[in-house]
Amino acid sequence: MRRISGGVRQAGFSLIELLVALGIFLLVTGAAFTLLGSSQQRYQTESQVLTSFQEARLALDQIVRDVNDSGYPPPTYFVSGAPEQSASSPFAWSLGAGYPNTPCQIATGGGGSCTTATANNTSPGDFDLIVETNPTPLTSPNVSWIRYQLLGTTLYRGTAPKVSGGDPDAATSTQLVPFVQNVINNSSAAQITQYQTIYPSMFPLGAPVPIFSYNCDTGAAPVACPFSGYNSPANIRDVVVTLIVSAPTPDATTGVPRIVQLSGRGRRINPNQ
Amino acid sequence: MLISIFILLLISVVAIALIVASGTESSLAGNYRSATGVYYASLAGLEEARGRLFAKDPNSFKNKAPNMLPPPGTTFDIGYASYVLNPGPADGNVLTTYPDTEYDIEFGGGALTAVVAAGQRNTTASIWNSSPLNGLSFPGPLYKWVRINAVSEPSLGRPVAPYDGHALDPTKPIFYDGAQLNVSNSGSQVLEITALAVLPNGSQKLLQYLAAPISVAFPPLPAALTLAGKITGGSSTVAYSSPSSTNNQFRVQGLDQDCNGNLTGTNNVVAIGVFNSTDTAVVTAGIPNGLRSTNYQGGSPPNSPDIEVVYSSFPSAMRSPSGLDTVVQTIIQNADVVITPTPSGTPPYLGTATGSDLTPLGMTSTNLLTVIVNGNLDISNWSQDGYGLLLVTGTFTYDPDTSWNGIILVIGQGIVAGSHSQYKQINGAMLVAKTRDSNNLVLTGPDLADSSGVGASVIFANSMQGNGIRYSSCWVQKAKPTSSYKILSFREISQ
Repeated sequence: MRRISGGVRQAGFSLIELLVALGIFLLVTGAAFTLLGSSQQRYQTESQVLTSFQEARLALDQIVRDVNDSGYPPPTYFVSGAPEQSASSPFAWSLGAGYPNTPCQIATGGGGSCTTATANNTSPGDFDLIVETNPTPLTSPNVSWIRYQLLGTTLYRGTAPKVSGGDPDAATSTQLVPFVQNVINNSSAAQITQYQTIYPSMFPLGAPVPIFSYNCDTGAAPVACPFSGYNSPANIRDVVVTLIVSAPTPDATTGVPRIVQLSGRGRRINPNQ
Repeated sequence: MLISIFILLLISVVAIALIVASGTESSLAGNYRSATGVYYASLAGLEEARGRLFAKDPNSFKNKAPNMLPPPGTTFDIGYASYVLNPGPADGNVLTTYPDTEYDIEFGGGALTAVVAAGQRNTTASIWNSSPLNGLSFPGPLYKWVRINAVSEPSLGRPVAPYDGHALDPTKPIFYDGAQLNVSNSGSQVLEITALAVLPNGSQKLLQYLAAPISVAFPPLPAALTLAGKITGGSSTVAYSSPSSTNNQFRVQGLDQDCNGNLTGTNNVVAIGVFNSTDTAVVTAGIPNGLRSTNYQGGSPPNSPDIEVVYSSFPSAMRSPSGLDTVVQTIIQNADVVITPTPSGTPPYLGTATGSDLTPLGMTSTNLLTVIVNGNLDISNWSQDGYGLLLVTGTFTYDPDTSWNGIILVIGQGIVAGSHSQYKQINGAMLVAKTRDSNNLVLTGPDLADSSGVGASVIFANSMQGNGIRYSSCWVQKAKPTSSYKILSFREISQ
């Protein structure tokens, strides 16, 4: 080949070189985007788990605070003509079940006599609790009913002012707002089996796990209730709170549900009513 | 190259987001841990103060910091505030570093400044800042201070009994009568205990109790002198004999007196209470005829003589020897002093204590004690006065050289005797019951009398002088032993 005088000619890439370069580029970018996609999925999953965890943490803290303050102010603070200004019981139950004069009987796994308007539900029960307290005594003299109730997979919270002769069940049931979502304590048997396959230590009895379980005052030390003779809501001393929360969607990578379990304990200090 | 940099940038953003999220989670978990920790730190402060209010606590304010509380039996006035201080090494003046803003919220703006200006703020160190716990190599609970003060209706923000429409009075302390709060000075005074805890990370928690002392299980005192016996009647189960001189000042009087000996006109009780009508007749017969109408007044309205059946005042669990003996054991467990004289070798195997055994106790009108004599007590010629609750399980020999201000229980052998002269008296109430047999074993039957029908016995010889037994609800109230300060309410104060 003869070179043209006065100019410099450079040889171009051959087709093979271009193909090799393109192949390498595709490999590198493909790997990078695959990694990016995987990272995004992981981020989404972890973010959802974290959000559920945060919600459950805050809820647990609030429930424990309310239980700690339950029964305030006690009937020793009774103001004549204003029964709504003192707690009749640290934990309320429905008017139909005898509130406030006839103690209902707490039971677990359903049963008992603390029935509510919600079918097959009780309060105090495994998934329903009405705290009676005055959370803001300096701004309001009146006691409130603060209810936590699991409906489906959402734990609701509702607050209603105590009304003399009123029904804590009815008053709070219209005030409920979503508090924690994707609470799976009361899952079906099939779902529990699925969860246990992935997390063998959860749902140890193969049955729903109560959100609320109770220790009741007796003549001696508090014992887990129901305990014969001490099943009144007025006898509840400790409320053990267990929240099992799942992320809204399964793990994007593995496809399994992501579950968080938190436990706490609230202790009523105000005296028996 | 640019694409590679872009991809690396994306991956870095994702990584940073994950790190931030992880940090948020850690903070959230940390906050929950702090909230729980500071809650229990504050609760520790409340419990220390509540425990130290109890006079029998080894670290009680009464023993270690008497300036913190008024003398026993005296009202803790509104406008005083006592603080238990528990500063950390870098806290300096803990009341300045962590000021008590809650006091002014409850008692009005400037109230705490007024307390300080009046010199009515008292302080003492916490047990964690006192020997020997201050020598520990680890810190105690992180509460900063605990305040103890009286409460009023305005500070609680609500009226209490009596519900007569009265205006909330900022000067009247609140009391607790076992059922409800009141401003009628009925029962025990209610104290407010408030604790502030602060963690190194700044978490703060303010918790508050209302607490009042509660009495231990105690038999009722429905009369100036109660002779417990057999409920069902029939044969007599008690014995009573009073001095016979018609000009004797010896009286058993159920007309209530205050702590200064003045008739109150209210709260009158029966002069002598018995458990059945047969015993009523027996006791009446034991009083010289000329003294019955003048020296045995009581009841509501007052009767002369006033000797009545009072067993219905007793809870059913306290009408039997075993029931009453159980109450005695509870009182013994909460006593200030238990004197057990060397037992005798013969039944009922009880030794005898004397007045000299009581002298070192230093009882005064502001230092009332619960004194148990597990045996006989003979205070003949003991010329000092006693204050508080005296429980004698054997024979009690009284001498009017001594005034006893408070309650005397003679439960066990149930025997009281006296023959000495002088002019003093028992101010308060006396209960005599037989719960043990001649071998000092608890009687097994339902009646407060042994198998031969012998029950409580009070025999004062004709030579006995003194002013007798004068009921005083004031001294009775002061002398009743307490087991602890009961929590009346608890709340977490929002900050």
